[in-house]
Amino acid sequence: MEPYIREATEFTPKVHFDAETNIFELSGFSRPENVIGFYKPLLNWLEKYQDEVLVKNVDFDKSIITFNAKLTYFNSASSKFILDLFLELFKFQSKGNSVVVNWFYEDGDDEILESGEEIADMVGMQFNFISY
Amino acid sequence: MNNHQKIIEYKGHLSYEEIGTLLNRMTLRLSDMGLKLPVKKRIYSVMVEILENIYKHKSDIINETHLSSFELEKEGNEFKIESGNIVERDSVDSLKTKLDLVNSLDETGLKELYKNTILNDKISEKGGAGLGIINIAKISGRKINYDFRNINGQMSYFTVNVKLKF
Repeated sequence: MEPYIREATEFTPKVHFDAETNIFELSGFSRPENVIGFYKPLLNWLEKYQDEVLVKNVDFDKSIITFNAKLTYFNSASSKFILDLFLELFKFQSKGNSVVVNWFYEDGDDEILESGEEIADMVGMQFNFISY
Repeated sequence: MNNHQKIIEYKGHLSYEEIGTLLNRMTLRLSDMGLKLPVKKRIYSVMVEILENIYKHKSDIINETHLSSFELEKEGNEFKIESGNIVERDSVDSLKTKLDLVNSLDETGLKELYKNTILNDKISEKGGAGLGIINIAKISGRKINYDFRNINGQMSYFTVNVKLKF
């Protein structure tokens, strides 16, 4: 499965979703003019990843998925979709895969930290909060 | 001593790029003022939600006598954000209901409303998630002052005034 890679722009974050390594990264700034157009393909990719990669894994040791979120700012419309991304990850976890979420925040950036805590609480997952 | 300081002022038709320019200008000004990161981020977040709200309504109606406006100023240890833009009369009632609801809630109530909205509401065609106003109230911790002035049968001029204290 092809990775989903988007370089960061002034309005959109960097995306690097890699089905080979099971490492997903979302980093930077998120205020897309077309929020649906930006995030929908990411959600579609995750669904495809579930259908094409995760379901074929019949080993006892399920995949270990790592999601690194290193966001510096996201607007409220983006937060809706970021929550949806984590709801997808929660589904992977519910199916026995191990999901590690690293939520990075700049030292002193309470807003990003609290947003992460809210999302973790809403999806019912445990995040590692890492300051930098 | 005059401690009333205008930081950003804008009047006109707002483009998406212009929002970026205003945000960059504001960030530089706030950094010059030596404000700490959490303070800057709070102002930034409220400013984005307000500017994007203006932008979402921009293509619907163009009226040269009622231009969109935005202002950020510092008064003592308070920041004041004021905005004005045209909205369709049809959306006035739902906006009022939402603003009154948000103004009636305390911090816990706002958190609950935010959670319910983000989990249950769909994104509108204009890209709004219905979260902007709640977010503004959450960050400000104060009542959002607003007003609707009737322009004609189809349009109203919507003004919002938000205060942030430090």
